[in-house]
Amino acid sequence: MSPFLRYLINRTLSIPVTLFIITAVLYATVMLTPAETRATLYMPKNVSPRMTEEQYQKMLERAVERYHLNDPYPVQYFYWITNLVQGNWGYSPTLQEDVLTAILRRTPVTAELTLYSILVFIPLGLISGAVAGSRQNQSTDYRFRLTAFIATSLPPFILALILIAIFYVNLHWLAPGQTSSAVSSVVSSDQFRQYTGLLTIDGLLNGRPDISLDALRHLVMPVFTLAIAHWATLGRVTRATMIEELKKEYVVAAKAHGIPGQRIIWRHTLRNAIAPALTSSLLSAASLLTGVFVVEIIFNFHGISVIAVQSMGTIPDAPAAMGFAIYSVIVVLILMGILDLIQAGLDPRIREEA
Amino acid sequence: MRTLRRFLSHWQNWLGLLLVALFVFIAVAAPVLSPHDPKNPGSLKVVGRTVDYRPQPPSQIAPLGTLPGQLSIYHTLVWGTRSAIVFGLAVAAFTAVIGVLIGTTSAYFGGFFNDIMMRITDAFLAFPVIAGVVLIQQIVSITLNNAGAYYSLGGLGGILTTVSGTLVLPEDLPPWLILLQRINPVLIAFILFSWMPYARIMNTVVLRIKQMEYIQAARALGAGHSTVIFRHLIPNAIAPVIVLAARDIGGMVLLQATFTYIGLGGNSLWGMLLVRGRDWVIGPGGNILTYWWVFLPATLALVLFGVGWNLLGDGLNEVLNPRTR
Repeated sequence: MSPFLRYLINRTLSIPVTLFIITAVLYATVMLTPAETRATLYMPKNVSPRMTEEQYQKMLERAVERYHLNDPYPVQYFYWITNLVQGNWGYSPTLQEDVLTAILRRTPVTAELTLYSILVFIPLGLISGAVAGSRQNQSTDYRFRLTAFIATSLPPFILALILIAIFYVNLHWLAPGQTSSAVSSVVSSDQFRQYTGLLTIDGLLNGRPDISLDALRHLVMPVFTLAIAHWATLGRVTRATMIEELKKEYVVAAKAHGIPGQRIIWRHTLRNAIAPALTSSLLSAASLLTGVFVVEIIFNFHGISVIAVQSMGTIPDAPAAMGFAIYSVIVVLILMGILDLIQAGLDPRIREEA
Repeated sequence: MRTLRRFLSHWQNWLGLLLVALFVFIAVAAPVLSPHDPKNPGSLKVVGRTVDYRPQPPSQIAPLGTLPGQLSIYHTLVWGTRSAIVFGLAVAAFTAVIGVLIGTTSAYFGGFFNDIMMRITDAFLAFPVIAGVVLIQQIVSITLNNAGAYYSLGGLGGILTTVSGTLVLPEDLPPWLILLQRINPVLIAFILFSWMPYARIMNTVVLRIKQMEYIQAARALGAGHSTVIFRHLIPNAIAPVIVLAARDIGGMVLLQATFTYIGLGGNSLWGMLLVRGRDWVIGPGGNILTYWWVFLPATLALVLFGVGWNLLGDGLNEVLNPRTR
């Protein structure tokens, strides 16, 4: 078996363990609420709207009995997790929809935003960090550090408002929201086939590059808002690892051999600095997702964050909150997997180690 | 002493220290800097007619102008500093304590126990704070709902529902529920879902130093587990934790303001200033400077707060971290 394959299998095997721990903790938290609330986690997809309050209460009581909701924690957890695996994530009263369906339908929007942000911030973070690190304490380095400082402390919602004021209200180059209204009617019509769910790609596949362009026009501001904070974090870590790496003996040896400085930086030290730098991004994959949801809400993208916002209404909605939490963890694990692959692809040491 | 001199030899550290000191000063002196309205005490002060919707530029009674409803920005900004510092310090202190305890004990006892604890830590790392906030808010609201409390209208405020509802509490609420209702759910969520980096750092450091001779010597001299952990391991491994905590304070306050802004709660006063002024940021003709005072003071406060703590953290890192020394 190739080392790379073994590495992949190793990584994949740790995912169920993480999911088990997280779901166990989540269910333990829900144990704090009364059994009737937990029963709402099992409510079927379509509770009849004509059902009276009394009938609904009866249904809840039956669910309490059927799913052993007064039994000890492990028993309850077992029933709940089996249900979850079977795809029954409960019915959300605020969304008026089955939770899993609601989440899956909105996934492509979130995926597109996340994907483009990663494609923007990782290369930029690595490159600018490498440049700043290799010119420690020069003016480039100071400029980079100042920008990165401000970028990490800038509230994303204010950045969003400023971007909208400049690029939408004044220049008309970009637009907030997900699509223009003309495009959204085309997209929802039958003629437009959803191959991937990602509008920028589906537009091209449907032979409508104008749709891709429109989607892109709407994506620039959210992607920028999202990428800038993570660019700053990654850049700062890359800079720090570069500085450490440049002090090592192989660099001195390479210099003594007359290898040009630029070549040492880009071909050797950066390659070695990538792994620790990307590890920090990997560990903050969860905060990347939080950022994605925040940006979705600010720019009015109807991605998965809709579930979170809607569930914050006045009616208690445990299924939506639980579904949102579990799905978010799954997404973070996928993100970590992607970053892991990038890391392993760029740094052979990681592949060999496992 | 040498460490202190090294720390003070960089102007960036002075700047960080100065900014943090400024915010601490404002927080402490809030009652002097902007006394409450005696008729209507609170973090919001109305300086004009509530029905007057147009924000007014800075004046004698409102040094930083007003928001729609004639709320004094200066007053909320000053009192918001106090709540921001309290929030930031509380989150950083609690997360650091939890993380340090988990990281140190699991590294100290090591072996299988350590493996399990670190697996749990890693699992928590995959949990986004926003999901924690949603879940904790939900559980708190379900618990209060069962006790008979409800929101009169709206929800938690934020850009989607600008009016935040008032929580109506029943008369006979048990004391622990009153306490629960007073604690900020976002604070709980932040603490529960951000201790992991502390635990990981502590774990790595303690795993390394527990093999050192002075620890072995302490054990051989008959020191108990808790003495070794609290007297020897933690003090010798705490430096990176302090650095992380300093950096976290700014980040946590920014995140809190963000959650308040998007309507997921958090009660950030700075965030609330920005929610209320939001419709006026983009003025006539797309000019963001027409009503600059509705967003610039609060934004600057957030940015400077973040930069200040970050600079302080970086400076501490440079003098405390043996690798960069």
